[in-house]
Amino acid sequence: MAIDRRKAVLYGSAAAIRLFLFTVFPSLPDLLTGRVEISTPVTSFKRLQEGLFLYTHNVSPYDGGVFHQAPLLLPLFSLLPDLKQYPFATNVLYTAVDLLCANALMELAQTGQATSSRYFTSPRKRMTWSAVSIGASFLFNPFTILTCLARPTSVFTNLFITLATTKAAQGATSTYIIALSFASYLSLYPVLLFPPLAILCYDRQASLTTKTDRSSSPITFTITHVSALAAGIGALLYLSYFLTGFSWEFIPSTYGVQLLLPDLTPNVGLWWYFFTEMFDSFREFFLGVFWLHMASYVGGLSFRLRNQPLFVVTTLLGIFAVYQPYPSISDTSLYFAFLALYRHIIPLMRYSFFLVAALLYASFLGPAFYYLWVYAGSGNANFFYAITLVWSLGLSFIVADSLYAVLRDEWEVERPEMRGKEARQI
Amino acid sequence: MSLVARLLALRNDPRAQKAPPFLSALCVIVGVVWLLILPLNEYSRQTYVSENALLPGQVHTYFGGSEHNIFRAYRQEVAALGDKTDEERTEKLAEFFKTCGLRVARQTYRYTAAGKNITGQNVYAVLQGPRADATEAVVLIGAWRNMDHVLNQSGVALVLTMARYFKRWSLWSKDIIFLIAGDSTAGPQAWVDAYHDAHSPTTVESLTLKSGALQGAVAVDYPAGTWGHRFDKLHIIYDGINGQLSNLDLFNTAVSIASGQMGIGCTLQRMWKHDDTYQERLETMLRGMLSQGLGHASGPHSSFIPYHVDAITLQTIGDGWQDEMSLGRTVESMFRSLNNLLEHLHQSFFFYLLMQANRFVSIGTYLPSAMLVAVNFTITSIALWVQSGRPKQSTKVGIPEPKEKKGVKEDLTVLKQDGMVALVPTETLEVTERQLFLPLTFVCAVHFLGLIPLYVFNNTFESSLTSTFTVSTTITLILPPLSSLFFTTLRTPTRQDVTLLSCFSLLLLGMFLSALATLNFSLAFLVGLATAPLSFVHLCIPMSTNGTSPPSSNRLIPRIVCVAVVFLLAALSPLTLTFAVAWATEVHVTEVLTAASVGWHVHGLWTQVVVWLLWWPAWFIGSVVAWLGATGSLQD
Repeated sequence: MAIDRRKAVLYGSAAAIRLFLFTVFPSLPDLLTGRVEISTPVTSFKRLQEGLFLYTHNVSPYDGGVFHQAPLLLPLFSLLPDLKQYPFATNVLYTAVDLLCANALMELAQTGQATSSRYFTSPRKRMTWSAVSIGASFLFNPFTILTCLARPTSVFTNLFITLATTKAAQGATSTYIIALSFASYLSLYPVLLFPPLAILCYDRQASLTTKTDRSSSPITFTITHVSALAAGIGALLYLSYFLTGFSWEFIPSTYGVQLLLPDLTPNVGLWWYFFTEMFDSFREFFLGVFWLHMASYVGGLSFRLRNQPLFVVTTLLGIFAVYQPYPSISDTSLYFAFLALYRHIIPLMRYSFFLVAALLYASFLGPAFYYLWVYAGSGNANFFYAITLVWSLGLSFIVADSLYAVLRDEWEVERPEMRGKEARQI
Repeated sequence: MSLVARLLALRNDPRAQKAPPFLSALCVIVGVVWLLILPLNEYSRQTYVSENALLPGQVHTYFGGSEHNIFRAYRQEVAALGDKTDEERTEKLAEFFKTCGLRVARQTYRYTAAGKNITGQNVYAVLQGPRADATEAVVLIGAWRNMDHVLNQSGVALVLTMARYFKRWSLWSKDIIFLIAGDSTAGPQAWVDAYHDAHSPTTVESLTLKSGALQGAVAVDYPAGTWGHRFDKLHIIYDGINGQLSNLDLFNTAVSIASGQMGIGCTLQRMWKHDDTYQERLETMLRGMLSQGLGHASGPHSSFIPYHVDAITLQTIGDGWQDEMSLGRTVESMFRSLNNLLEHLHQSFFFYLLMQANRFVSIGTYLPSAMLVAVNFTITSIALWVQSGRPKQSTKVGIPEPKEKKGVKEDLTVLKQDGMVALVPTETLEVTERQLFLPLTFVCAVHFLGLIPLYVFNNTFESSLTSTFTVSTTITLILPPLSSLFFTTLRTPTRQDVTLLSCFSLLLLGMFLSALATLNFSLAFLVGLATAPLSFVHLCIPMSTNGTSPPSSNRLIPRIVCVAVVFLLAALSPLTLTFAVAWATEVHVTEVLTAASVGWHVHGLWTQVVVWLLWWPAWFIGSVVAWLGATGSLQD
């Protein structure tokens, strides 16, 4: 496959900027690794090092109660040369992951699923960005660069989510299932993306095998794919069981932590403060409510936006970036990368400038307030929590506003005479 | 949502379109007036001690009698050490401490900044509190030389005397550390860095002797010579690095002990005479803001504050009838109060402006003024964003020329509101596409460009700082016209480009300033004030042409205004302002720059980051916009 020149320039400059920052500011990655906005208890690179140390010394990595990441990451990172002496290998790995993610994103953009799916073609389809611009918007997003420098393991989840979406949009069933199994295995929550991705894949297959072939019925499709996903995840779990010395103790330390939230380290999300304040007797109930709330969007959105499954995936990524137990700015950067596919609906969004400004404000005030709370000691936890509220509010308004824009786009196909007119909710 | 929608609909109201500049100006004016009324009785408050455990001035002080003779003896000894080397001096001082029965250690530091070597040696002793478990400690500091590089003879002698005196008491429930720092800024910094293991071992030696978490620090600056000097008042210095302040309770304790218990007057911010008038209160507050805004080390205590150790310096000033014994009793009483603390000082304010020893305003009262100044930029930025999306041609006034002859019928939209119906050309309701790429790239590039002067000024030798300053001032003043020229040769910038350029720059400025206001109020306010004209620069861009090209005389007046704005901005550049302020206060620019460089390398000062990465880029983009307006070659 010939790589065209624009792509080569994009990859080259993106890799150069990352490796430049890694080498010229050697203390920057460690500084960012400690930032709560980027590293959460379930993705932190520092905790990964801790787990790795235990693993290479033949102690169960989950013994200390510090490491909450998937076991398969350990052999991968133990293959890399020692971080202290040769940090370059790790840096190259993380840069490569970002580039692969961008590559998948660009392939996704080339499928054109964002503007014309099986049942719906947007009247604004000419307004999209080129694949290279979408890749650039991901690679040069400051959030992505900061995430890459801080080296959390969430980049692997992001890579597999993007890969799964791309493969689903291309109709490549098996790769999609494998990528999604990896993503779900690493972080659990991506399993919620299965329904919209399945619709996306099914639609794509159906439109590829036009009439000549008999496309499989929805029910067979669902059954085969659910079982394939289960088999994929099961295989990965069994491999982990094998790797951690035939013990299932990694399950409570990884997925248990995601589900039960024992670690209340601050992050940009909404859970930690809420569960710090809560009486223990209500804990289980509200854990259920919070998870149910996050999961409940899947069904509703998949039904309502049946015609645009890729947008369901995008919106869900936005919702995960807000309502996950341990969100970080790397989730936000993935959401913005997917939102860039929907360039054509941005003119229909009503508050884009205000919301982007609010997010920018929050991303500067957040570290300032965290500094006042933790280092200067002149503030308290409420300072930081207030800013994470603003951040989440801004992000969820962007999700809502983009949803409005997409619905409006659909509506204008049905009722062309309403184009450009004020819509009012009754 | 409907309310928001209605508010958004306001953007089509011609009155709302004219309002933002006035609103911005109003914000700035209200912000400044807000600050000016703070010294009034109605808006400031009497200070009070919040932490009940402190009980300032409630103990009887016993420092006196024969201690006076010991103090005089130490003063003679200190005088004899005046011309010795660091090594000999600290050895002798360590010996004094050892004779008192304290554990002693020494520490060497060697910083390099602005091509200068800052070296010295600290010596300190730890008194293990008889009732303490070595988990907490308070520090008594006497720097060998004070901020004016004068030998702190009586101050050091007092620390030695206090060490001997405190050792005899059995009531200490915290360890007491006596620190005699090599100088007033680098020495305490090296010590406190090493105490918290945050030092770089190449420049600062690690400490061999440590105690518990530091709860507070008091520095004594009493440069009286061998024959003593009776002072009039205590000058209390309380601001730390980067404008962080110590807890107000510590300051209040010092004031209440000195004036209430000992009858020593207290003053602050070099206001030697303070008659509690409005002007003097205001002046004190403004001086405090300037000192906080610069964020420099104002005394030996400053380095402690970033480590969340509340610290103040007591400096003796004037000629009066207070002697070393009353200062000693003040220190004793302060340590008795700190000894009572059950937890870290946290009750009282960390953000305050003092206008007199017993009057202050807290953050809730003063923060709105800086926030209003910051908000003015955001308002302008939002207005510019809305303006940039407006159609290229403004609504034609008068009767529209008939277009039917070409068969083109203008799109009209029927608007119904409050029972009235109007026909409006559709294009005025639509939002034009914005070309974001060029303005965004330029704004980002300029912000990164600020890294170059930041690096250069922090790494230039003192001898060449003046020439560097001259060169960078010249470059800074020439670069905006050059880049506007570059812009015009590259491709004629559209009006939208320039509007968006201003919009993004002001958005960033407003955002940075409001974040900064929470960390260092004074710096944010001062920078906000110096950049306030930037939110009006866009007014000199010709708004929009009325379809047909206007007569050239119409464009002349705005262009003259633009040229005036260009010169005004040149006068307000960070570099020219620095020079002007330095000249007005009779300080050489080199001194300022050296202090900044030393601050960067020794103390971790951020002020120059704010100047170069926030103020300078904002000013730069404002100037480019003004130049583009002045050359007047904008496309629609």
